[in-house]
Amino acid sequence: MELLKAEHLSFQYENPEELPIPVLSDISLTVRQGEFVAVLGHNGSGKSTLAKHLNAMLLPTGGKVWVENYDTADESHLYDIRRTVGMVLQNPDNQLVSTIVEEDVAFGPENLGVEPSEIACRVNEALRLVDMLPYRDHAAHKLSGGQKQRVAIAGVLAMHPDCLVLDEPTAMLDPKGRREVMDTIRRLNNERGMTVVLITHYMEEAASADRVIVMDNGAVVMDGTPREVFSQVEALREVWLDVPQPTELCYELRRAGVSLPADVLTVEDAVTALAALWEGSV
Amino acid sequence: MLSDITIGQFFPGNSPLHRMDPRVKLVVIFAYIVLIFVPQNWAGLGVCVAYLLAGLLISGLPARLLLRSIKPIVPLIVLTTVLNVFYISGGETLVKWNFIHITTGGVNNAIFIAVRIVALIMGSSLLTYTTSPTTLTDALERLMSPLKVLRINVHEISMMMTIALRFIPTLIEETDKIMAAQKARGADLESGGLVQRVKALVPVLIPLFVSAFRRACDLATAMECRCYHGGDGRTRMKQMKMRRSDGVFLASTVLLCAVVILLNILLASSLA
Repeated sequence: MELLKAEHLSFQYENPEELPIPVLSDISLTVRQGEFVAVLGHNGSGKSTLAKHLNAMLLPTGGKVWVENYDTADESHLYDIRRTVGMVLQNPDNQLVSTIVEEDVAFGPENLGVEPSEIACRVNEALRLVDMLPYRDHAAHKLSGGQKQRVAIAGVLAMHPDCLVLDEPTAMLDPKGRREVMDTIRRLNNERGMTVVLITHYMEEAASADRVIVMDNGAVVMDGTPREVFSQVEALREVWLDVPQPTELCYELRRAGVSLPADVLTVEDAVTALAALWEGSV
Repeated sequence: MLSDITIGQFFPGNSPLHRMDPRVKLVVIFAYIVLIFVPQNWAGLGVCVAYLLAGLLISGLPARLLLRSIKPIVPLIVLTTVLNVFYISGGETLVKWNFIHITTGGVNNAIFIAVRIVALIMGSSLLTYTTSPTTLTDALERLMSPLKVLRINVHEISMMMTIALRFIPTLIEETDKIMAAQKARGADLESGGLVQRVKALVPVLIPLFVSAFRRACDLATAMECRCYHGGDGRTRMKQMKMRRSDGVFLASTVLLCAVVILLNILLASSLA
């Protein structure tokens, strides 16, 4: 089922006295239920702006965005849309509203007018899903970055969304926090079938998605499985993006004349390909 | 140094004081703060202190925690005590040398006021230690709800307080970081006269403000993403219910007031 759909979406910031600044131009894409989509792009490629269109934080200046069956421009369904598409932002410090973890997680359902006893259930469930249940009455500002970001995810999960949109959720975290958050996101996608749209600039994070969308200059330039996308090393370099290290190694070896497959993505892939090469030569 | 501030330092627990209806707690603390200024004699103040100690015992908080809450106001206590010792006269003269004139009345008064300030701060700390900031602002919102008649948006006021309390530790941390960054660039924040030191703070305050506005913008986005749309149609996870124990607590406070006032009348002029 199609959960998110953008049709010829374009967006420009009004700029008084001068020409408007175009940010997104003619983007058409769909995200199906249960998919894990990574959106890649260097700074200023428009990926965060695209994310903000998926829950009606911004409205298209051209084209349409559909969330389930709601048109994001239709204000009467604004809260249905924002409940369906939960959004997690980059800075974990700036998105927690309450001092205490469980009170912060309760903020979303409280706004939706959920029954008090039901809110308590949802808070428990959401904190359990992100592995933060033991911290429910801790002070939010004393948690580590990764823990704060997981609380932020729980706060969104408590609204029972169908889709999570995460806007560079690991950009401000240390490697440990990044791993915690990525494990949580992957688990939600695998075990709960949560649809995930992950905006990122880390190639390794994108490599674990079902599908990678590459953006440049406000447009989608590539859209495919990680293998399909990352095998096009030259095209990625043209839009100022790197490829995962195993892919790059095999690419350079291929250029030096070694016969290796083009779709190497993980360390395991690289090992298998090199081992096969070794056995072939012996 | 800045992390000593105790505002909003909730100490989670499950004592009767933690579970008490926060509205009752607020009313009682308000009454207590007024009451602490009523006693004119040691007996009355003693009763107030006993009441505070009983609260401390019930709360199950470590006493060292409450003592820590006193730390930031030690200079204030010392100052008032010294002023009282020197400026209040009465009773027998203890020391008389040059312009210094210390009397038993002065010493008595100084200690009395010091105890009063300590009891005041400890009482209010007892409230903030046993009540989470959100619960506290929730209770305030409900206590102030009659003001809606005057078209005052009580929900917005309480939301502002919640956010302020939430961001105090974050902004303090940020201040420390900016100060360290400016010091690393050779800023001198610790020497010079008052005017110079205030001037030296400008390069700390400007980045702090810029960052606070940026945070506010982010937070507004996050709140909108979580469907915040003001107080209308909003429910609360934590319901407030008056229980029998709350009634007992209220009654004990009324009793305390009566005892203190009675002691004032019976032992009139014993302090002077």
